[in-house]
Amino acid sequence: MRLLRYSSDGRQSVRRHGRWLGLLATVACLTWSARAEEARVGEVRPQRSSWAFTAPRPPTVPAVQNAGWVATPIDAFILQGLEEKGLEPSPPADKLTLLRRVTFDLTGLPPSPAEQQAFLADDAADAYPRLVDRLLDSPRYGERWAQHWLDIVRYAETDGFKEDAFRPNAHKYRDYVIRALNADLPYDRFIRQQLAGDELECDNPEALIATGLNRLYPDEYNAANVRQRRQEIQDDLTDTTSLAFLGLTVGCAQCHDHKFDPISQVDYYRLQAFFAGLLPRDDVAVASSEQKQKYAEQLAAWEQATQKIRDEIEAIVAPKRQAALKDALLKFEPDIRQAVETPLDQRTTLDEQLAVQAMKYVTPKLREVPGKALKGDEKQRYEELQKELAAFDALKPAPLPTAMAVVDGASRLPATFRLVLGNYRKPLEEVQPGFPGCLGEPEPSIVPPSGNTTSSGRRAALANWLASREHPLTSRVMVNRIWQHHFGGGIVATPNDFGSMGEAPSHPELLDWLAVEFMDRGWSMKAMHRLMLLSAAYQQSSQVDLDKPAHARALDRDGGNRLWWHARRQRLEGEAIRDAMLSVSGQLNDAMFGPSAKPELPQGIDGKLAWKPDANAAERNRRSIYVIAKRNLRYPLLEMFDLPDMHNSCAQRSTTTTAPQALALLNSDFALAQAQHWTGRLLAEQGGKQNPPDLSAVVRAALGEAFSRPASDEQLQVAAEFLARQTAAIARSGDATASAVLPTPMPAGIDPAQAAALVDFCHALLNSNEFLYVD
Amino acid sequence: MSISRQPIRQPHVECPSSRRDFLARAGGGFGGLALASLLASESRGASQPAESRNVLAARLPHFAPTATSVIWCFLDGGASHIDLFDPKPALDKLDGQPLPDSFERPVTAMGRTAYTPLMASRRKFAQHGQAGLWVSDWYPEIAQCADDLAVIRSCHADALNHVGGICQMNTGSILGGRPSLGSWCLYGLGSECDDLPGYVVLADGGDNPPGGNRNWGTGFMPAAYQGTKFRDGKLPILHVAPPDASADPRQRGKLDFLQQLNRQHLRGREDDSRLEARIASYELAFRMQAAAPEAIDLASETAVTRELYGLDQKETARNGRNCLLARRLVERGVRCVQLYMGSGSKWDAHTDLEDNHTQHCRESDRPIAGLLRDLKQRGLLESTLVIWAGEFGRTPMSESGNGRDHNPYGFSIWMAGGGVKGGVAYGATDEIGLYAVENKAHVNDLHATILHLLGIDHEQLTLLHNGRAERLTIVAGRVIHDILA
Repeated sequence: MRLLRYSSDGRQSVRRHGRWLGLLATVACLTWSARAEEARVGEVRPQRSSWAFTAPRPPTVPAVQNAGWVATPIDAFILQGLEEKGLEPSPPADKLTLLRRVTFDLTGLPPSPAEQQAFLADDAADAYPRLVDRLLDSPRYGERWAQHWLDIVRYAETDGFKEDAFRPNAHKYRDYVIRALNADLPYDRFIRQQLAGDELECDNPEALIATGLNRLYPDEYNAANVRQRRQEIQDDLTDTTSLAFLGLTVGCAQCHDHKFDPISQVDYYRLQAFFAGLLPRDDVAVASSEQKQKYAEQLAAWEQATQKIRDEIEAIVAPKRQAALKDALLKFEPDIRQAVETPLDQRTTLDEQLAVQAMKYVTPKLREVPGKALKGDEKQRYEELQKELAAFDALKPAPLPTAMAVVDGASRLPATFRLVLGNYRKPLEEVQPGFPGCLGEPEPSIVPPSGNTTSSGRRAALANWLASREHPLTSRVMVNRIWQHHFGGGIVATPNDFGSMGEAPSHPELLDWLAVEFMDRGWSMKAMHRLMLLSAAYQQSSQVDLDKPAHARALDRDGGNRLWWHARRQRLEGEAIRDAMLSVSGQLNDAMFGPSAKPELPQGIDGKLAWKPDANAAERNRRSIYVIAKRNLRYPLLEMFDLPDMHNSCAQRSTTTTAPQALALLNSDFALAQAQHWTGRLLAEQGGKQNPPDLSAVVRAALGEAFSRPASDEQLQVAAEFLARQTAAIARSGDATASAVLPTPMPAGIDPAQAAALVDFCHALLNSNEFLYVD
Repeated sequence: MSISRQPIRQPHVECPSSRRDFLARAGGGFGGLALASLLASESRGASQPAESRNVLAARLPHFAPTATSVIWCFLDGGASHIDLFDPKPALDKLDGQPLPDSFERPVTAMGRTAYTPLMASRRKFAQHGQAGLWVSDWYPEIAQCADDLAVIRSCHADALNHVGGICQMNTGSILGGRPSLGSWCLYGLGSECDDLPGYVVLADGGDNPPGGNRNWGTGFMPAAYQGTKFRDGKLPILHVAPPDASADPRQRGKLDFLQQLNRQHLRGREDDSRLEARIASYELAFRMQAAAPEAIDLASETAVTRELYGLDQKETARNGRNCLLARRLVERGVRCVQLYMGSGSKWDAHTDLEDNHTQHCRESDRPIAGLLRDLKQRGLLESTLVIWAGEFGRTPMSESGNGRDHNPYGFSIWMAGGGVKGGVAYGATDEIGLYAVENKAHVNDLHATILHLLGIDHEQLTLLHNGRAERLTIVAGRVIHDILA
């Protein structure tokens, strides 16, 4: 780990040395590019980060000694690394271990007993490739992998800040990501739709929803300093876009030239300029043009029919609203007031941005006007008119579904300036949109898009640059992310930082080979999954035997397993833990898409932040990706198991082990309820075969479902001993029927103490290491 | 970096047996080692994950600390400095007049308050203690502790609104997503007690401070370092089972079986210390179930103590209980305790400052003074830093005729104990208390000073995140040496 040390007066030093650093960065950039050139043509192993700034070229697949092990070209690269160190790969994992691993990897769920049996029985040579294909075709795949992307783009459904207001259409973006992954939308198009769907595919409702990416920043509805808020949003967009697509931390360059990467402060604001004209829109209809036309016609008819009534309402309300507007606007500086008061058609894009932000605070106050400001006769007349208006409701079309989207301002875009230490009040020179020089040609080709949009084309230019085959980072960053989730760590171990502060790649040639392969296969993510999962490297065992000389040697030479001489055991993420519990209990509702599920909160979480749980239990038990993503109250079970904070781009979750996690799995109502349902289901299934049910068969089934393999004799033995002990203890305590936790449903004809002990048994399995870890 | 492949013995092996032991080791010059171990536990590379070691094990600071625990009384909503610790005679003369042109017109939260008339304080100020520190008649009991206080009158912050201000006081930034001070402390120093959370949050009402859990969250830091908000009732920690359950043979039986399964599973996987850490986490959880209810049970406290904290009076009972709990937690080795007073922006006196602050000062005066006195008489004040601070102060300009708006441009906080010099007034605001002008102390400076008292160099305590070595003070922060004893 490298330590960044700032001087005791960091700001001063930046101020004094800003220009000097800029010069240095330029020199460094040139030097690094030159080195990268060397690396490409010669034998020189790339230096730190230099490699990342030239487009990947396909390296030669290396020749290796143990060619028999090589199942895919990936293996040749891995084996080369091992052989150089005199190491050898681990033997392949057994079939059931592999089944559990690949099923959790691709779907986030455990393999069912039927799937276990089917895979075990399938002796065909292509049994495993067919398994991979089946899992990739499962809709569960998108639900699993979308979460990885949502972590990176710090997805949430609420504003954060104090109000943490709900964003009713945010879930459509989440659903878009799931659909895109399931459909194997090429990654280059995935980028274009999200950054500039409104410019590049303005007639495609999916692409408009995709632009919700640019709306995921936290926001404060009552920000008093609107210009500062605008700048914070611009910074957030610049930083997150760079982390997500470039795998580069540019945030440092907000205040000064990057100290370690050749990203200058000018580069930062040139990147920011691509977003300068961005306007948030919540009224973008996601509908076909026929639907839109029909809607417009019906609305016009309603408006015509109600014109008189509405005119009279307006005459009553308008003066009050005007007064309320004037009063509310006193919150803001004069220039903001002026922006709001400028008629729509005369506003500049900057006016519009400032006005939209200010109106987040003002609009709710204006809505209160009829209820608060009208008195006496006026109020009475207003209410009468509302009734008259309601009589025409049948004519009024249902509103079209809308998306949380963005557009560019229609008129002159705001200038972007380099800012002294990122301070919006201290602009330096104006900058134009452009790309960091160290990543190739810096001048973008910005063309206003064709079609029914008035956009500038800036974001399309950014997206096209990122999605180009020549881009040095895009393909590498994405294949590294895919690799990271399959192998438990990236080839570049810092997936959001391919710069100098990040880790050097363990296998630079492999990374480049994968990156080129990714593009050659049409940016297909599923193709990359298949490629990686079919490698011998992926299929290795994770067991490390300290007594085995080969492993002792490997531990000595590569203790961190950077060379991949064994598979990495992974702990399930919070989502997968919850989903696996629901899956074995039989309570998982696999309904896809739509508004989020609101599961029950543990007792004691209350106050204004808490949500009202869904009344319907099935709705509460949807997969974790559909659980409401609230910035100021993350679902506690997921939060405990390292759910990211939804403010920062998170490329790699930490996996902590804490006592509160143990308490949650031991004592939460949720965990206990799943144990009860699970026991109830198993008893019912076994009871269908034999009545009263054979309890040892229940135990065997539970172990098989929890650990995805047949129970061992030893497990069965300790289980039997435990059940006998626990049954006796429960019977002794005398509350077996009164207060003991029983299976749901509790079958007839079974001793309650025994049934309660079975629940305890299943509950323990849900807590066990083998349930939470995947070999 | 190298990663230990040895299975860990047990978690908390690095935990010193007592506070004294901890201090002795800290004073022994092993600071460099501590830093090394801190960093070793942090790197999250491709190598075997680092969470295998107990991330909360106590660690040595960079240098000998003067404080080992922090109690922060947080005035949620923003207390009026010019009516409490920063008397402004000039404001009396300007009462009812507009802000003179000689002052830069500030951006204010309510906007209109940049133009409203100035309002004199109606409080009576007097000098207290040997040092003659100025305190108003709203805080008669705290005034008696004047010689323990270092009042910083020149604080300034960046947020106009509560949520940003509280966020900054906790994390250094007005924007969410960064770890809180308490999380940085746990990350840097670990926890000294292994059966209670190392960072506890208490509130005096049902409402959370604006921003909620984020204020004691970890942002981009691992979740293990987050604060635990104690809940009302006998079971302060989420998912702690009733005390009788931990004595219940059934729960113990289930736990024993679980550990049996886990031990079986561990065979052939001995290289992976995460699995053993998880086994240990269940034993810790089991102990916590007994320790947490005991820590909050005040039955053993004497009537004298209860009275000292104001538990005997309705207005002060709530904060008094929290202050007493804070002392008990610190006694048990809890590193950071944060008490929200007026939780849910109750100090936010946009109208009727007199009513609002009379009530909230009354509710907090005795409990805080009681805490200072009790810590002192038990010899704990020396090693416990007590902080009195909200997210900002209030404007000299009036609002709605009798209230005051938010003022992040200049306000007061104080610190006491833990190596802070008593009877000190540091820095100054202008003649009317609007802007900090002399020896200005930004929130980052306050944080640097707090970490310094804990033996941490704020520039050296870093965490690599998305390519940046992040720290509590971001890119700024300077230790205020003038208030150190």
